[in-house]
Amino acid sequence: MFLAGVIVLPLAHAFWTSLHRIRGLTATFVGLRNYERVLEDEAFWHALGVSLRFTSISVAAHVLLGLGLALVLNELRVARTALRILFLTPWMVASAIGATIWLWLLEPQFGVVNHLLVTAGLVERPLAWLGEPGTAFAAVTAVEVWRGVPFIMLLMLAGLQTIPQEQYEAAAIDGATAVQRFRHVTLPNLRYLLVVASTLDIINVVRHYDIIGVMTGGGPAGATEVLPALLYNTAFRANRFGEAAAIGVMLLLMVLAFSIVYLRVTRIGRAEPGS
Amino acid sequence: MNRTTILAAALLALAMPASAQQRVTIQWQTANLTESQYEPIWKATIAAFEAANPDVKVEPILVARRDHWTKFVAAAQAKQAPCVISVDVVSAAADGYLRPLDDLWAKEPASFRDAWSADMLAATRWKGQLFGLPNWGGTYAEVYNRELVEKAGLDPNNPPKTWAEYLAWSKKLTAPDQWATAILGGKTDTTTRVLLTWIWGNGGQPFNADMTEAQFAKDPKSLEAIKFYLGLFSNEKVAAPAPTTTNYLEQTVLFAQGKIATMRNAYWSIAKVIGDNPRIAGKMFVAPLPAQIPDAPTMATVSAHSISASCRHPEAAWRFIKFDMDKKWVVERATKANWMPLRRDVADEPAIKADPMLAQFVRVGSNAKSYPLPHPAWADIAANDIVDAVQKALLEPARTEVIFRELDTRLSRKLKDN
Repeated sequence: MFLAGVIVLPLAHAFWTSLHRIRGLTATFVGLRNYERVLEDEAFWHALGVSLRFTSISVAAHVLLGLGLALVLNELRVARTALRILFLTPWMVASAIGATIWLWLLEPQFGVVNHLLVTAGLVERPLAWLGEPGTAFAAVTAVEVWRGVPFIMLLMLAGLQTIPQEQYEAAAIDGATAVQRFRHVTLPNLRYLLVVASTLDIINVVRHYDIIGVMTGGGPAGATEVLPALLYNTAFRANRFGEAAAIGVMLLLMVLAFSIVYLRVTRIGRAEPGS
Repeated sequence: MNRTTILAAALLALAMPASAQQRVTIQWQTANLTESQYEPIWKATIAAFEAANPDVKVEPILVARRDHWTKFVAAAQAKQAPCVISVDVVSAAADGYLRPLDDLWAKEPASFRDAWSADMLAATRWKGQLFGLPNWGGTYAEVYNRELVEKAGLDPNNPPKTWAEYLAWSKKLTAPDQWATAILGGKTDTTTRVLLTWIWGNGGQPFNADMTEAQFAKDPKSLEAIKFYLGLFSNEKVAAPAPTTTNYLEQTVLFAQGKIATMRNAYWSIAKVIGDNPRIAGKMFVAPLPAQIPDAPTMATVSAHSISASCRHPEAAWRFIKFDMDKKWVVERATKANWMPLRRDVADEPAIKADPMLAQFVRVGSNAKSYPLPHPAWADIAANDIVDAVQKALLEPARTEVIFRELDTRLSRKLKDN
């Protein structure tokens, strides 16, 4: 009953909405016309492209930096707990609050980032970080990376601590270098975890809206308009709930595709002895 | 609970005054309840109303300006919208979110109804029905920082009247870390408001008469105005950086801090600027918008009180609206929160006449077009499509005409679609 109330009914209503033209409180059945309109609109394809870029860069950075930090923390013998808590801070802060903090840090006239850059002589004049398409996309991606790295780091650190020490000792006896130990011992042991973490992260990032919603709202000129931002803007700014629901259903299908990958990987993982 | 207790409770309930038993709660949402200069006034209004109307409790809904419309729409879709609401009247009425007020309006005495001009009421009508009672407005004028003007060797008593004069002033008002003005290109409808004032000031008509076609690029006067206005940033370099992230908030902060010397804004911005920098009080002056045609109209925004369609206590809501429209509160809002009154019978109030800056705004507003424009899709068009075009043109000035031609196509489709 609970699942029906919080999952099945809202999903069914979203699907019902996607088949109707909603104008205020009036709904007219239009079949798949909303899907056609969305797919004909270049804004959808633009947002899909932005979403793919945003997700792929963010997830790659999350995994690379998360793994790197986990390796460093795993080797540390002092202050490991304190550093772990410190690195986790961005993840513990609510995304919208973190985004608001960054919004003010990057503010063109009064922001700390510009003040430091100008003072250090790295730039001649304050930059409009969120005012130019390139820098705006880079800024929201950087904030997403800042927020998402700690979670991956935590997963990787847990994975590293399960690798039997004997494997490293055996490799060392065989004369393996640090790089070889990483390649032939660490990576194979983390392979399953890396796939699971990446898939979960893709599912998480592809439906993210809060950072972009707070920092740019999808602008300037659509440069950061990912699919969830397009969905929000279509529903609540343009009042086209039917089309917004159609975008939502398509986004759901994308997330479901990644979820199937995740489920398959975890099933294989469970089947593999020692994984 | 024994029988005696139940009996006592029942007797107590019967003994309670009818008003206490029937006390109703109405919610009130506007985009302005979070503004510090207005907060003491609305709190006093509610307290006074509840004292005079013990059977009604008013619950203010505080929401950030940018989330105001979203929250209202979400609540209206759930048929739970606040009873008293101030939103884009035509957009909300066309969507069926508002209750027509004609029956309530008709019951009022002529003395009350005469306080609003027919033109003013026309701005809150949709398909012949009245959906809002105009509460306060904002006439757009050019506000200058007197100190910066004098420092640049310019005469505050002779502000620019034409665009050529404005540009000449702008060049003199631009210095290291200081600009003449700020172009608004942020993602709110304020961007559209200011753009329209420039277009109207050039005699441009960005929409045809029945609002079925957009002609930002097709109409040469409109396109010329767009190019001149955005060119203040792109070509002339007299406008502050980062226009695509500049909204009302950023504009007023820049002005309060002396980073820009002039801003195109309404009377309420004066209170905001003084709130940001009290030392600037008394160091501003207001002038009509520089224009290319004689008697160019400015813009007068109309904010109205409406009653949502889902309101279960419209009589109580109407009582509150009338109370809030009382001259006492209109004058309070005008003098303390800088909200221009729309009741025509308060212009001669001593407190209104005593404020020279308000008087100047009133003079400038004697020739104004009302805003929002009357189309159901206006809230969307003004906050999204036009803003996107402005942002694109600021980022690629050479493509301005193409961008606005594409906007015309997109908007014309939308205007006909609704």
